[in-house]
Amino acid sequence: MLKTCMLVAAVMSCCLTSSAARAQDTTLSLAIQGGRFQPAELRAPANKPFTISIKNGDAKPVEFESVSLRVEKVIAPRSQGTVRIRALSPGRYEFFDDFNQSNRGAVVVQ
Amino acid sequence: MSSNRVGIAAAVITTSAFAALVSTPLKAQDLAAPLAFYEIETKYIFGFTEGSGVGLEGEKELSSDTIARFGKRDGQYAATETKWEFEYTPNQYVQLELGPLTASHYIRDVTDLDNRNTFRPSGFFGEFRYLLVDRPASPVAATISFEPVYRRVDETSGVPVQNFEFETKLQADVELVKNRLYGAVNLIYEPETTRTAEGTWEHESTLGFTAALAVRPTPTLVIGAELDYYRHYDSLGPNRFTGDALFLGPTLYYKFARKWFVTAAWNAQIWGREIETGNHLNLEEFSRQRAKLKVAVEF
Repeated sequence: MLKTCMLVAAVMSCCLTSSAARAQDTTLSLAIQGGRFQPAELRAPANKPFTISIKNGDAKPVEFESVSLRVEKVIAPRSQGTVRIRALSPGRYEFFDDFNQSNRGAVVVQ
Repeated sequence: MSSNRVGIAAAVITTSAFAALVSTPLKAQDLAAPLAFYEIETKYIFGFTEGSGVGLEGEKELSSDTIARFGKRDGQYAATETKWEFEYTPNQYVQLELGPLTASHYIRDVTDLDNRNTFRPSGFFGEFRYLLVDRPASPVAATISFEPVYRRVDETSGVPVQNFEFETKLQADVELVKNRLYGAVNLIYEPETTRTAEGTWEHESTLGFTAALAVRPTPTLVIGAELDYYRHYDSLGPNRFTGDALFLGPTLYYKFARKWFVTAAWNAQIWGREIETGNHLNLEEFSRQRAKLKVAVEF
């Protein structure tokens, strides 16, 4: 019984720690207005996971996509979405709107 | 009808039928998008050789992936195996694949093989891929994959068997010129065990080293060449060496639409040896030529 209690406590502790850590993660804000990412270049800390919060202010859907970030997410018109990015080494990671490939940007990790 | 025609027809029919089912027409938005050399997923641009890409988190893909083998020492020989794949990337490091297999065999007057002309379901496969090293942390990106396969039909002869294979592959690639020129190597270890119709168990394995170069002349087209070397053993480890073969041939990758692509490759055996017979070219374990055609849609 004692072992079970300790196991449950350990699992809960891990979950709480993870949630707390996630809450402290860097969140980068990205907007889409007039078919363009604003800003077109984001900056993120190296070797730490981070989140990009994407707000689509346009009347068309957007598919945020990046081969090097390894994510894709469709954001409906006039709505918001988030993508969580793994810890990255320093470098420039391009992203684009797969529904409008002329709309492009990058995350500079440093 | 020649064996080559049968094999090619089977590959084209299966992939075309699947493509017709899953493809989406090129939309106005695809045509409107300006063409430029942006980043590309490298997994499928090298033909038989695989790149390190594991896809995008949450991405799913349906595809038919046919490998055809043509030509033995004598007679007429064509065999195909098609993977009907469902592929999923649950996170930014891992990719999963699974699906059924179908196989066709057209064999006429080949020494040691029975004549047959068959097309049938032949088994199941799964694959787990894990991204070990990624760009730009390293100029070389690398992925390791594990692929268990069950077959109820012998790949070479088409005879009913119980075959279990476990392929382990290390895939590494490098971007030699950003978004334009790529190189890749694969290291392969493929042990398998087979229960024959007579009830005996046979063990064998293949070691492989493949290398490919691919250039991107247009944003949607990648062409290249690959050199693949395989060693075959009648044992699970590298003990009982039976022969080896070297294949060379061109590769092609073409993205038809935003989520739709085809990859193709053709290889000819340019050098090989059979240890037991001393024959030039290894046509006991390998074929004179082989081809690959994969049609995929992502969603």
